[in-house]
Amino acid sequence: MRSAGKAAPLLEVKHLKKYFMTSSGPLHAVDDVSFTIEAGKTLGIVGESGCGKSTLGRVILGLLEATDGEVIYSGENITNANKRRWKELRKEMQIIFQDPMSSLNPRFTVTECIAESLRIFNVCKDKKELNRRVFELMRTVGLDERLAASYPHELDGGRRQRVGIARALCLSPKFIVCDEPVSSLDVSIQAQILNLLQDLQKENDLTYIFITHDMFVVRHISDDILVIHLGCIMEKCSSDELFERQLHPYTKGLLAAIPVPDIDVPRIEVMLEGELTSPINPKPGCRFANRCIYAQERCFVEFPALEEVFPDHYVSCHFCREINKLV
Amino acid sequence: MSLLEINHLNVQYITSEEVAHAVNGVSLVLEKGDCLGLVGETGAGKTTTALSIIRLLAEPPAKVINGEILFNGQNLLVLNEKEMRRIRGNEISMIFQDPMTSLNPVIPVGVQIAEVIRQHQRCSQREAMERAGIMLEKVGIRAERASEYPHQFSGGMKQRVVIAIALACEPKLLLADEPTTALDVTIQAQVIKMMVELRKQYDMTVVFITHDLGVVAEICNKVSIMYAGEIVEYGSLHDIFKNAGHPYTKGLFGSLPSGGKAKERLEPIKGLTPNPVDLPSGCKFHPRCPNAVAECREASPAPFEVSSGHVIRCRLSK
Amino acid sequence: MADDAIRLKKMANGQFAVALRQFKRNRMAMIGLVMLGIIVFACVFQHYLTPYDYAIQDIPNRFAPISLKHPCGTDQFGRDLFTRILKGGQISMLIASTAVMFAAVVGAILGATAAFFGGAYETVVMRFIDVMMSIPGLLFAAAISTALGDGIDKAIIAIAITRISNLTRIMYSSTLTIINQEYIEAAQAGGASTARIILKYIIPNCLAPMIVQITLQLGITISIICSLSFIGLGVQPPTPEWGSLLNVGKGYIRQYWPMVTFPGIAIGLTIICCNLIGDGIRDALDPRLKR
Repeated sequence: MRSAGKAAPLLEVKHLKKYFMTSSGPLHAVDDVSFTIEAGKTLGIVGESGCGKSTLGRVILGLLEATDGEVIYSGENITNANKRRWKELRKEMQIIFQDPMSSLNPRFTVTECIAESLRIFNVCKDKKELNRRVFELMRTVGLDERLAASYPHELDGGRRQRVGIARALCLSPKFIVCDEPVSSLDVSIQAQILNLLQDLQKENDLTYIFITHDMFVVRHISDDILVIHLGCIMEKCSSDELFERQLHPYTKGLLAAIPVPDIDVPRIEVMLEGELTSPINPKPGCRFANRCIYAQERCFVEFPALEEVFPDHYVSCHFCREINKLV
Repeated sequence: MSLLEINHLNVQYITSEEVAHAVNGVSLVLEKGDCLGLVGETGAGKTTTALSIIRLLAEPPAKVINGEILFNGQNLLVLNEKEMRRIRGNEISMIFQDPMTSLNPVIPVGVQIAEVIRQHQRCSQREAMERAGIMLEKVGIRAERASEYPHQFSGGMKQRVVIAIALACEPKLLLADEPTTALDVTIQAQVIKMMVELRKQYDMTVVFITHDLGVVAEICNKVSIMYAGEIVEYGSLHDIFKNAGHPYTKGLFGSLPSGGKAKERLEPIKGLTPNPVDLPSGCKFHPRCPNAVAECREASPAPFEVSSGHVIRCRLSK
Repeated sequence: MADDAIRLKKMANGQFAVALRQFKRNRMAMIGLVMLGIIVFACVFQHYLTPYDYAIQDIPNRFAPISLKHPCGTDQFGRDLFTRILKGGQISMLIASTAVMFAAVVGAILGATAAFFGGAYETVVMRFIDVMMSIPGLLFAAAISTALGDGIDKAIIAIAITRISNLTRIMYSSTLTIINQEYIEAAQAGGASTARIILKYIIPNCLAPMIVQITLQLGITISIICSLSFIGLGVQPPTPEWGSLLNVGKGYIRQYWPMVTFPGIAIGLTIICCNLIGDGIRDALDPRLKR
C-alpha cells in the first residue's frame, strides 16, 4: 500500500486494540490492527456485523479510547491526546454516520445541524456569514435551500444523509470516516450519495476510511481494502488486487456468498457454514478457524500473523499458499 | 386457472390530514410453482400489496378502494375474517423482514411451530410437536432445539424458525417480505440456498419482495418492478435482466455499483421517489425520466406487451 | 432565505407547534384546559370577583342557605364559602406549582447528571431515589411536615421533597435513551463540550416526558397538600386551604353539607383537569399516535 518514494502517509495505525470489559470477559472488538493511508486515498474496511469495523473508526477519531496501540495522524501520535488537542483535531477529522435518522438531533433544523460546528468554533463573524456558509454547504451536497428550516423527520433518508455530509464538511476537514453511509439508503439514492462522496474527495483532496459490509460498494469506492473478521485483519491489499485474486478463505467465502444481479454469472456458493461468533474471550488460534473449511489443527492453536504473500498483499492465514496452490 | 391473480388493486392510507395512494391499479398473475420477485424501493407499495393479499392491512388507516385478489379463483377481498383465518398459515403464509421481532419471546420455538399446525389441522399436541421437530430439521436446525426460546438463537437461525412456522402447514403460496435484508451476507447466502431447496421440495409458489436485484437473480423466475404503487415492468427473469425496457428498471441497474467498471461514476436516477400523498400527474416516473415527453405528463401510459409475457408501462416502449 | 422566514417555519413545524395542533384536537384535554383556566383565573382574581373578605366573620349569617348571594353557602363563622374556596385555591395551587417546579429542577439536574456521568455517582443517586420512592408519598410528606413545622413555605419544601424521586427517574431514563443516540456522538465528533451537549442536546429532547410528568404531578401534589391539611399538618386555619376547609367541614357534615361538599368538588375538579391536560400533552407528544 505504500510505494517507494511517496510522501509520508496521512494516517498510520499501529497494532491498535480495543477491548470492552463485559461480565463474561473481555470483548476483543479490535485486535491488533495495523494499516496506513495516504492523503487523498480511500481505505475500505469490510466485514460482517460485529466484526469491529465501526469500533475501529470510532477509536481512530477518539470517540472511544484505545486499549493499546497507536494512531498517528500527520506524523503526530494522537492516540491518547487530551481533550484540548482533540478539539483542534476535530476540525480536520470528521465522521459520517450510518443512520441519518438517529445521527441528527431531532430538535435542530437542517441549518442548525449543519451550523453546529461552525458555532462551536466561532468560525463565522456574524449570523449573515453563518447562513451564507450553510447555504454554500447545502448547495455543495445537493440540498435545496428551501429545506433550510426543515426538521430531520420531514426529510427522506437520502436528504438526511446529505445533511450529515454537509455537517461533516463544514470545517473543511482533511480526513473523514464514513461509517456505512449508504447502507440504509435505497439503491438509487445510494448511487447519488456515492457519486457525491467521490466528487467531494476529488474537489477537496479528502482522505476516506469507508466502512461497509457491501463488497460491491467497497470495490467501487476504495483504493485499498481491509477485510476484518472478529476484530482481526484477515486480508489487506489494494482493491483491484483483492477482487482479482483473493487469498484468504474468509474473503473467498464472502465473495462467493454475494448475490450478483446478473443471470449469466454463477450462482452463490455457501462456503461458510455456521454462525458469526462473538469476540468475547476468544480462544487462541485463528479467529476464523471454526468457520473455515480448510481449518487444520494448527489453526486452532496458533494465531496466524499477517504475512506479505505478494507485494503489498497481506494475508493472515497459515495455509494461504497451499489453499491457493501457490508454491 | 392461475394460483394467484390480482386485478386492478387500489389501496390508500387515509388519515385525517391526507390520503396516501399506496397501491395504484396493480395487476399480476402467478402460476403454480412461480417465484415472483416483487422489486422496488422504499414506498413503492410492495409490502402493502403483500399485506392486501393476506388481508393483514390495518384498516383504518388503510383502505382497499377497489380491485380483486383471486386465489385459486376465490376473491380474498370479500371473505370475512373467520374464513380468512382458515387461509392464513394454512394456504397462504407470510414471513417478514425482521427476525428479531417476528417471534414471540416467551414461547419456545417448537411450540410456536406446533401452534400453527394445531390451528389448522386436527392432531394432538404431541403429534404437533413431533412435526415441529421435523420442520426444524428441514430448515437446518437440530430438532432438540425445539424447546429453546427465540433469544437463544442468532438472527439467521431465528429467520429459519420463522420460515419453519410459515411452511408448517405446507401452504400453496408464500409471501416473503425482504426476509434476508436484515441478515449478514454469509448468513443470507445460507438462507437463500435453503429457500431454493425448500421451494423445490414443496413445489411452492412464492412472492419474494426485495430491493436487491442480486437476490432476485438467485431465486426468482419472474420479476415485477414496482414504482409509486404501480407495476411499471413485468416479465421473466431473462426479460428483465437482459431486455429491461422501462427507464426506471434501466435506472435501477445503472445505479448498482456491481455493474460496469469499478470506480467509474455511477448513473443514478435523478430526483427522489415521489411522496404517495402527492403523486405526479400522468406517468408517475416522468419527473425523473431522461426520456420524458409532454405526453408523459398528461396521461398514465397503458401496459404494453413488448414480447410474450413481458409487459412495460411506458409510452416509448411501443 | 430570510431569517424571519426560517424562524417562522421553525415555529410552525417544530415539535411543540405540531404537538399543540394535536393537543387542540383532543376534546377532553381542551375541556380540562379551559376548566383549569377558569379555576385558576377565578382563584387569582378572587379579590375582584367576590365582594366578601375571606377572613371577616359574620356570625348572624352562619350556615346560610345556598343562594345567589352565597353560591356555596357560609361557614360556621358566617364567612362566604365561595370566597374562601377561591382564596384557598390560590394557596393550594401556589403550594402545588411551586413544589412541583422546585422538584422538577432538582430532579432534572439529578437525573440528567446521574445518567450522563454514570459510575459511583449514578449508583449513589439512583439508589437514594429508590429509597425515597419506597416511602408512601403522603406519609413521607407528613413526616417532613411534622419535622419542619407549620406554614406555607415549609409545606412547599416538605411536598417538593417527596416529588423529586419521580421526576428524577423520568429525566434519568430519558437521558439514558438519548445519550445512546448517534447524534450525541455526532456532537462530540463535531467538538461540542459536555455542557453544550447537556444543554442543547439532552435537555430539549427530554422536555416532552418531563412536561407530561410535571402536569400529572400537579394533580397528585394538590391531593397531597389537601390531605396534609386535612390531617392538620402543613397549612393551619384560619388560612383557608382546600384541605383544611375539608377538615373543618367534615365536622359539620350532618347539619350543613356545603362546607364539605364544595371544597371537595373544587379539589376533585382541579385534579381531574390536571390529569386530562397531562394525558392530552402525553398523547399529543407521542409520535406513534400521530397517524
